[in-house]
Amino acid sequence: MIGNLDVVTMELQLAWRNIWRNPRRTAVILTAVIIGVWSMVGLGALMRGILIGMIQNNIDTLTGHIQIHQQAYPDDPAIEHSISDPETWMSAARDALPAGSRWSQRIRIGAVVSNARHTRGAILMGIDPAAEARLSFIGTAVTEGAYLADGDTGGILIGRALAQQFDTRLGRKLILTAQDSDGEIVSRAFRIRGIYQAEMADTEKGFLFVNRQSAQQLLKLGNRISEIAIRLPAHEMAVPVANDLKARLAGSPLRVRAWPEILPLLKAYVEMFDTFILIWFIVVFVAMGFGILNTTLMAVFERMREFGVLKALGMRPGRIVRGVLLETLLMLVLGIGAGNLLGLATCWGLSITGIDLSAMAEGVAYAGMARIITPVVWIRDLLRANLVVLLLGLLVCLYPAIKAARMTPVAAMRHH
Amino acid sequence: MKHGRILGMICLIFTVLAAPTSLFAASAAIDPAALVAAGFDHYRGTASISRVEMRIQRPTWQRTMRMQAWTRGTSESLIRITAPAKDVGNGTLKRGKEMWTYNPKVNRVLKLPPALMSQSWMGSDFSNNDLAKSDSILNDYVHTLTGTENQGEHTIYRIESTPKADAPVVWGLQRLRIRDDHVILSQEFFDEELVSVKKMTAHEIQLMGGRIFPKVWKMRETGKTEQYTQLTYLELTFQDTLPDRTFTRNALIHGGR
Repeated sequence: MIGNLDVVTMELQLAWRNIWRNPRRTAVILTAVIIGVWSMVGLGALMRGILIGMIQNNIDTLTGHIQIHQQAYPDDPAIEHSISDPETWMSAARDALPAGSRWSQRIRIGAVVSNARHTRGAILMGIDPAAEARLSFIGTAVTEGAYLADGDTGGILIGRALAQQFDTRLGRKLILTAQDSDGEIVSRAFRIRGIYQAEMADTEKGFLFVNRQSAQQLLKLGNRISEIAIRLPAHEMAVPVANDLKARLAGSPLRVRAWPEILPLLKAYVEMFDTFILIWFIVVFVAMGFGILNTTLMAVFERMREFGVLKALGMRPGRIVRGVLLETLLMLVLGIGAGNLLGLATCWGLSITGIDLSAMAEGVAYAGMARIITPVVWIRDLLRANLVVLLLGLLVCLYPAIKAARMTPVAAMRHH
Repeated sequence: MKHGRILGMICLIFTVLAAPTSLFAASAAIDPAALVAAGFDHYRGTASISRVEMRIQRPTWQRTMRMQAWTRGTSESLIRITAPAKDVGNGTLKRGKEMWTYNPKVNRVLKLPPALMSQSWMGSDFSNNDLAKSDSILNDYVHTLTGTENQGEHTIYRIESTPKADAPVVWGLQRLRIRDDHVILSQEFFDEELVSVKKMTAHEIQLMGGRIFPKVWKMRETGKTEQYTQLTYLELTFQDTLPDRTFTRNALIHGGR
């Protein structure tokens, strides 16, 4: 008897020859599969890129993975809801943080910034320059002038968009006005030491950075702070570490929140996008699936007499089904392979420069997206796309295959 | 424009000179800082009650309001609108650096938060800060005498005031013209590039309530000819003092006495 391997080789050979009996039809359906898979991989990666850009952006933009505030601060970020004795709490929390975590103390208070011609509300960030640089975007964002130096109490960092709006430049003065912890209105002059660039124009207009000590002095806060921000080595650690911190700080006047809690909208967005990508895959497939079904059906009808002869010679229906499915499988594998290559090549090409949306910066910022989109290929998305096409492709071809297998020699003789 | 401090300018409208000190006795070396202090002191001291008309002039519209004002010293003032009818009862109370406004339509007294301090006061070219921060020119600036000119029997001193290094002021420079009888004729505000932003001028200087006082004040943004705010004193009387109850929230709501 012939060995099992030889049977498979023979069947594959047969299937391969069968597909190319009508090269034009096969080429058409291959093109459809390739374009379908290409769009799934390419657009999937693009959406994933937008999503990751959004998360990264938000975490970099002063969110961090975990934030610790005074209980009432998240609902009412007023100056009286500050954390007293941050050092004590920090040392209690330190053990819960995995190695490689970074943290920083901040003041985060609404203030009014003005010069002779302009005025606008903004968030005043009092930061520890060295610690903050390892934590958020600001460490590498200064494009003009210099980053804040430790002990530089009169310096301020502002965003490029604010500098443009205010018609000001390095070395110029800005007046900050805010309400101090006694409810008095206080103001102080700061000199622009550096101008930073951020992903979003809103960030550039919205945040001002000064040394924590100067902010504490101005607002008469003593050593009180608004928040502790923590950055972990990986995104996924945020929730478990936050839960651990919550347990350790239970009973304290502090509130621990991980980023999905700080940015619930973003979390919902991420989940929505996930589902959206899958729906997109299925929609593309439905269009493609009908093409595949149609082609296979035609191929089967053309060869009805052949199936009749095979049946007459005693071939089992199961092997006919297998034969037809094998043909489909070969076509799908070819198409998927080429589609993946094309899709990955496209992503690679796009990721060299990224897709620059700066021209529409305002609209993009409104959607919470980054200015530059880089496609991100996730193995999971890739597998999902390929499996959807492969499994559903085989599934729809089951119909023509069974039809062929059911053909009796007598019916086949009458078939034209 | 909308912020910074016009240092007392509005304040001095409601405040009044103490007896002019004889600072400029016979030429000699003139101390510009003392000159500025004397100029602002000219409107300070005691208490005053006045009726003022404010005209806000814009290219396409204009608006006139009348108000009654009570002041005591430099830091306390109460202003209530008396016309037009739809604005009657609106008021502003200032005590120290703090300000409150009252609107009868919503029947609420609102303490002005920092965000509103740099906003326009009653839609005019004056900002709330102009009212609230009045001592800035005296404390935050270094003054230099840049020249003198003669106008009839008067000498006018031209003074340039530059802010001290870390002073919390938005201006890069102020230029003042002060007459030898301590009347401030003009005050011009410059940004840090030393480009003029706005200018306040005094007109129709005459005897009012027993003192030499400009009847008309104009605040104009530089480069905008059809746009200014003008204050005209209709009535002005000086008193030694006013009672404490004039400068309370109650008075803001129910009218000053």
